[in-house]
Amino acid sequence: MFSLRDAESPLERAIVRLSQGAPYADAMAEFSSGIQARVERTQTAARPSAEIRGAVLRAWDGRRWIEGSAPDLAASSLDRAVDGILRSVAHGTGPQRPVPGGPSTARGEKSLVGARRPVDVPIAEHVELSRHWYEIAKSVDGIFNAICSVSTATNERLFLSSAGARLYQSVDRGAVNVVPVARENGRVEYTALTEGWTGGFERAESFSEDGVREAAGTALALLKAEAPPTGAMTVLLDPGTAGVLAHESFGHGTEADQAMRDRSYLKPLLGQRVGPEGLTLVDSGVLPAGWGSMSFDDEGTEAQRTVMVDRGVFRQMLHDRETAHALGSTPTGNSRRADYLSRAFVRMTNTYVEPGDWSFEELVREAKDGVVLERVTSGMEDPLGGQMQIKTHYGHRIVHGELGPLVSGMALSGRVLDFLGAIRGVGKKEYFRMDPGFCGKGHTDLLPAGTGGTYVLSEGVVGTA
Amino acid sequence: MTENLAAELAPRLRAAATAPWEVYAQRATRHEIHFNGDQIELVRGPLATHGYGLRLFRPAEKSIRVGFAASNQFDAGAIDRTVQRAEAAAQYASFPASKVELPGSAPSLPSLSIVDERFQADPAGTLDAFVAGLLAAFETTPRGVPSFGSIRATLAESSIANSEGLSAQFASTEAELEVAVKASGGPEGAPPGEFWVNRSARRVAEADLGVDVPTWVKLAEDMRRARAPSTGPQTVVFPADVLADIVPPVLGFRLSGPAELRQMGTTVGTAIAPPAVTVWDDGRLPWGTGTQPIDDEGTPEVRRALVENGVVSAHLYDSLHGAALGHPATGSALRGGGLGAAWYRFASGLSVSPTNLVIPPGPGGDVSELAEQVGEGIWLTQLGFPFPDPVAGTFGGEIRAAYRIHGGKIGEPLRGGTVGGPVLGPTLEGTLLGGVRAIGSRATLVGSFHAPPLLVDGVGVAGGP
Repeated sequence: MFSLRDAESPLERAIVRLSQGAPYADAMAEFSSGIQARVERTQTAARPSAEIRGAVLRAWDGRRWIEGSAPDLAASSLDRAVDGILRSVAHGTGPQRPVPGGPSTARGEKSLVGARRPVDVPIAEHVELSRHWYEIAKSVDGIFNAICSVSTATNERLFLSSAGARLYQSVDRGAVNVVPVARENGRVEYTALTEGWTGGFERAESFSEDGVREAAGTALALLKAEAPPTGAMTVLLDPGTAGVLAHESFGHGTEADQAMRDRSYLKPLLGQRVGPEGLTLVDSGVLPAGWGSMSFDDEGTEAQRTVMVDRGVFRQMLHDRETAHALGSTPTGNSRRADYLSRAFVRMTNTYVEPGDWSFEELVREAKDGVVLERVTSGMEDPLGGQMQIKTHYGHRIVHGELGPLVSGMALSGRVLDFLGAIRGVGKKEYFRMDPGFCGKGHTDLLPAGTGGTYVLSEGVVGTA
Repeated sequence: MTENLAAELAPRLRAAATAPWEVYAQRATRHEIHFNGDQIELVRGPLATHGYGLRLFRPAEKSIRVGFAASNQFDAGAIDRTVQRAEAAAQYASFPASKVELPGSAPSLPSLSIVDERFQADPAGTLDAFVAGLLAAFETTPRGVPSFGSIRATLAESSIANSEGLSAQFASTEAELEVAVKASGGPEGAPPGEFWVNRSARRVAEADLGVDVPTWVKLAEDMRRARAPSTGPQTVVFPADVLADIVPPVLGFRLSGPAELRQMGTTVGTAIAPPAVTVWDDGRLPWGTGTQPIDDEGTPEVRRALVENGVVSAHLYDSLHGAALGHPATGSALRGGGLGAAWYRFASGLSVSPTNLVIPPGPGGDVSELAEQVGEGIWLTQLGFPFPDPVAGTFGGEIRAAYRIHGGKIGEPLRGGTVGGPVLGPTLEGTLLGGVRAIGSRATLVGSFHAPPLLVDGVGVAGGP
């Protein structure tokens, strides 16, 4: 079986060549593989993910970064990438600057794997487990179809630099997705139940059967769901929806490259109160089993837990080495590449709302009238404007302090700071949940990012979606 | 002339795999320039990638077992291993068709407008010149600056071969532009405004990418004083820029073989819009980003009506779904999409998708004439992102840029609140397509969508009182 360690010598030679023509150079090599299985009413699909290996090489020429890539790890491909970079370096003119933020010199190996590595789990087992969830969902009366998938993947990364850094990590990821489908009189409704993790295949087996049956029941109920109320109102976000608020609406504004460009509504608020005492927002690359967890980022900084908002006060932005140096902070291990063909910039890992001390029943009572937003489907950042856009698949009305009828999809908007300032309660630890997702910076460069937390009660504008 | 990687692989596959088989290969080179303000931050390229995806079709009782595997390694051992992985996957797969007919050898492919020859000849120079021109345009607009941006362009050489004797190849280019335009300064107290541009086109050309710096700066300026709209159903004009993110994903699924097979589609003969609305799928549209001579399994592209006089007239099929449902393939087997970057098309399985969707212009007139017909309503310029749900057929997003239409004239700017609802449904009432009252007279090409503005009544809007 191929390992990135096998490619270390040609990568080192490439870095030596680059460093002869540029003040600093580094490389990130990658090898990825995996298996996906899907079972539904009419078909079964099973396929291994593409086996992809390649490397990105980067040089600092005193003014700017120059990057090239090799589509495999052969010495000839790496040589061509080095030649291309050196041609651009040779064109550089003007005043020189040292490497922004200074180079990493860290060395080590640390992997995120579980008891059962993906490579040891046969395709058949992925298919059997998908079929297991399919049968459970289909056993609910009225469920027409269920699209059930199990996937696992391994991503190895090796980071080397001309300053002596050498970091190796292997990250195993897995995900289970169950989508029960109901239909009636031309109307189709569904729900999606998803779990994703870093670690071994054993997590796939602990997926909740009760959860699948409940999701199937919700899909059926959605056939008769009312339209949601619209306009400004009290809103209770479920843990997944609160996580997308923490990530999309707040987290993107804490990415310090946006602050460097004066494109963050949060930049002037560092050190100031943005929410109540009960609000703490965290980004953690070391969350155990977190979908977005890793050992080190793609410029050689160890992953860490960063408290962005501590008991209502905005304390910390997320940094790469350059932004940390420029803004007088320290790197937070958030410089990530989607893959070896994508650029590195400041990205989140697992972003969540820390639990508070309210029970769900207390939050509903406190709301009096409003809506619970459930099963988040998407969110969109607005780092300069500070507006929020979050969509959920469904929700429930809150009527006179009690949970009311099911309502169909909703879109939440409003000013993020208004929302945070109006928070009246944060749910207990027992509701804490993380969802797997893929985050883009803008519309591109999608990479694994976990979002979650607990219930959050506040005010917002609700529309249909 | 492109490099026919698939033809190079074919002899090895004839030896290693029993028929039927198909291989899709791609070699791509990409260049990027990223800038912060007027400073070049990062130059990337050539970023090289190549790889192939292999499909094997194995007959079984009343079904076909389809195995897929992909790799970016071209040595004989890696090719054999990819064949083995595809065979292993096929053992567990099942698709409800008795046989599949792959396209055979084809006459020479038509010459289509899909290659930016200037970029092909001088990729780095073309991007340098584009960025220089773009930044120079901002020098004449002191109130607006590009807070950051990037231009990324790819030359892809695609090739397909199969056991029926098909061997075809073609080259294409694609450019992606992202610019965040910020307006600030002026009267104290007004927060900065932003207009965030994301466009794609076949050519690195200002006209194709919709570059219009004065308009972008005006939009960013106007958003500084924008307010949220009022809540309730309203008449809204959707231009092609907004529709491009809503209509293709929803129609692309609901009018597809996969939706039909799952009984989740909209059947042929169903009225989804007023008689004035016609929708084409046009795989040969000049400079459309969905244009190519053949689809990704080798079926020639044509133009076909999907919706005629408001009624669904056809569905889209690949070879497999066509075989299962008794229809010929329609040139709709496409790779990529979803989370896959364009340069990993070889690594993704086939999906059934539209190529370029075209809504022909109508008699609705220009901007002022459309506004006059609206009377009271909204001209929607940009949503955060509409995140369409193809299964439910809905969309919804936050208003990032819009204008109120009052007394038949375009008036003050709007920002915040949401627009959303069903795109199509069991009845015309309350849906985006069903509510079309007028169709503008001038169509614009936005990536793979070519349409005029649509004036729609009864759209769900949520904002202020």
